[in-house]
Amino acid sequence: MSIAIAPRPAQPPARRLTAAARSAFTTVPPSVLLSFIVVLIVLLWSLFPALFTSYSAVTANPADKFLGPGAQHWLGTDDLGRDEFARVVYGARSSVGTAVVAVAIGLFAGGLIGLLAGFVGGWVDAVLGRLVDTLLAIPGFLLAVVVVTGLGFTTLNAAIATGIASVAIFARLMRAETLKVRHSVFVESSYLQGGSRNYVLFRHVLPNAYRSVVALAVLQLGSAIIVIAALAFLGYGSPPPASDWGLLVAAGQNDATAPWLVYGPAIVIVITVLSINRISRWLRKTS
Amino acid sequence: MTDLAIAATTQPSAPEAGGWARGRPYFVYALQRLAQAVVVILLAYVLSFVLITILPGNAIATTLGNPQSGLSPAQVRNVENYYGVTKPIIVQLWMALSRFARGQLGTSLVSHQTVTSLIAGALPYTLKLAGTALLISLVLAAVIAYGSQYLPGKWARSVIRSAPSLFLSVPNFIIGLLLIHYFSFQMHTFDVLNPDSPVGTFFAGLALGIPICAPLAEVLIANLDHETGQEYVLVARSRGLTQARLFARHLVKPSMLPAVTMAALIAGELMGGAIITEEVFGRNGIGSVMYQAVSNQDTPVLQGIVALAAVVFVVVNLIADLLSPLLDPRVRLGGGGRREVATP
Repeated sequence: MSIAIAPRPAQPPARRLTAAARSAFTTVPPSVLLSFIVVLIVLLWSLFPALFTSYSAVTANPADKFLGPGAQHWLGTDDLGRDEFARVVYGARSSVGTAVVAVAIGLFAGGLIGLLAGFVGGWVDAVLGRLVDTLLAIPGFLLAVVVVTGLGFTTLNAAIATGIASVAIFARLMRAETLKVRHSVFVESSYLQGGSRNYVLFRHVLPNAYRSVVALAVLQLGSAIIVIAALAFLGYGSPPPASDWGLLVAAGQNDATAPWLVYGPAIVIVITVLSINRISRWLRKTS
Repeated sequence: MTDLAIAATTQPSAPEAGGWARGRPYFVYALQRLAQAVVVILLAYVLSFVLITILPGNAIATTLGNPQSGLSPAQVRNVENYYGVTKPIIVQLWMALSRFARGQLGTSLVSHQTVTSLIAGALPYTLKLAGTALLISLVLAAVIAYGSQYLPGKWARSVIRSAPSLFLSVPNFIIGLLLIHYFSFQMHTFDVLNPDSPVGTFFAGLALGIPICAPLAEVLIANLDHETGQEYVLVARSRGLTQARLFARHLVKPSMLPAVTMAALIAGELMGGAIITEEVFGRNGIGSVMYQAVSNQDTPVLQGIVALAAVVFVVVNLIADLLSPLLDPRVRLGGGGRREVATP
């Protein structure tokens, strides 16, 4: 058995990227493709809700109240005769869009903390390490509740609270990834050849941490949606007529005769999070 | 929900390699971990103080300034002196910390009970719920893991393997509402007006336990996949060990260590999830005390509960870290045999 190690021709980054994209497209399992479609639709809901429904999410229409799901109203209507599907579509922005904000906060703050701790080391690492330990010691949901109580009950504040609660997780992963790269032979040789700190950071550390941090960010997006929905369910998001998905479930719970008001938004939450988790799992497996 | 999802994917925090592996005596390691734990608890209290006090809307001042608070001017002065409301933040923080170090958590701004007695009154209910949920999630995780290895048919095995990721995607308030809808409203197995009955507690525990069993099951499955291919398992099987005994003795035991290192995260999830589950099922407990404290802006109660959660998390974590070198001799070897735990 002979092993030929052919030197790979150096490709310009752009072509390497398109090649990677093409090979990804042909090897993506169907369930992941389906998940991408679901996530795309939900993101489009949050950007252009008016394209997906002709009903209004806020105007009451008492003549149509408590209609069951059907061709006219896909998810039925609520106690004021508003189309539940329209409420879900218009609620996507404050349910999923805000989750993106939450992940961005956790990603940037946590990433920076982890990068500093791992890259600088020494007392910086010790101090930041205790900070992360402390953040981890308070259960994430509790921390989010405390922060949103301090900031005031709006959905954006709930997103900020969710983001703050996830800082520690990103910091821990980023630190571990940074350390892994920093102590590798190629970084040592890069320093020996006169590479500056910044060069090592941008050429080696960040590109190597990228895959696993992205997989974590996608996974966090799913749990951020759940946490924000739970905060909204408890009434810590924006008050009605906002139509956050968690709030819709909480409101639907009051009308025992109209179970579809709970099922509709609940199924949308579950399918969305399931799809995001599927994508994250696939990213982790292929990275 | 948040942390556990991560625990399922990343290596659960193992005891610091530097600490134990360098061959320091066990009691030095234990003392260091203990000191670290105390520091983290104090820092967590400081953090919750900072978050609650510095963020807009100082609740104590607002409550005291409210003419309907039902406090006489003398009482108001009393409370002001106790919390040092008029003093600078840093002095307030010092006062709060020194009270905390003496075990005092202050007094509720609404019910005027001490926070300690409020928590002590609610804790048994939450412990009952959390204990039930923990038991259910352990059993469920074991069943899923067993099924993932031995269910007849590849199709059935792959279905049960996808159960954990489904469980991670369903918020526990939705599970709770579904359980109430089917088992209380339609099948009348329990009465929502009496949620503390054994059956009611079981379903509340189920709602809380299902999302928690997911990461446990994932870790178990990953370890089983790893161990099943090992030679000693083949040997044990060739010597005629039954499947169930093989599972219990040779496969579950090596998976105990990662499960122990996840214990603190699970405790945290149980406390966080209890807020929602208690609200959905209308149960008493720490969660409902917290829910009321949030709606009344009752700062001392809120801070007390955060402190309690931090203490629980840190203590469970400490126990896990102290136990794991004893559980797995390979951790003790230091340089030679590094512990390898397969994670998904």
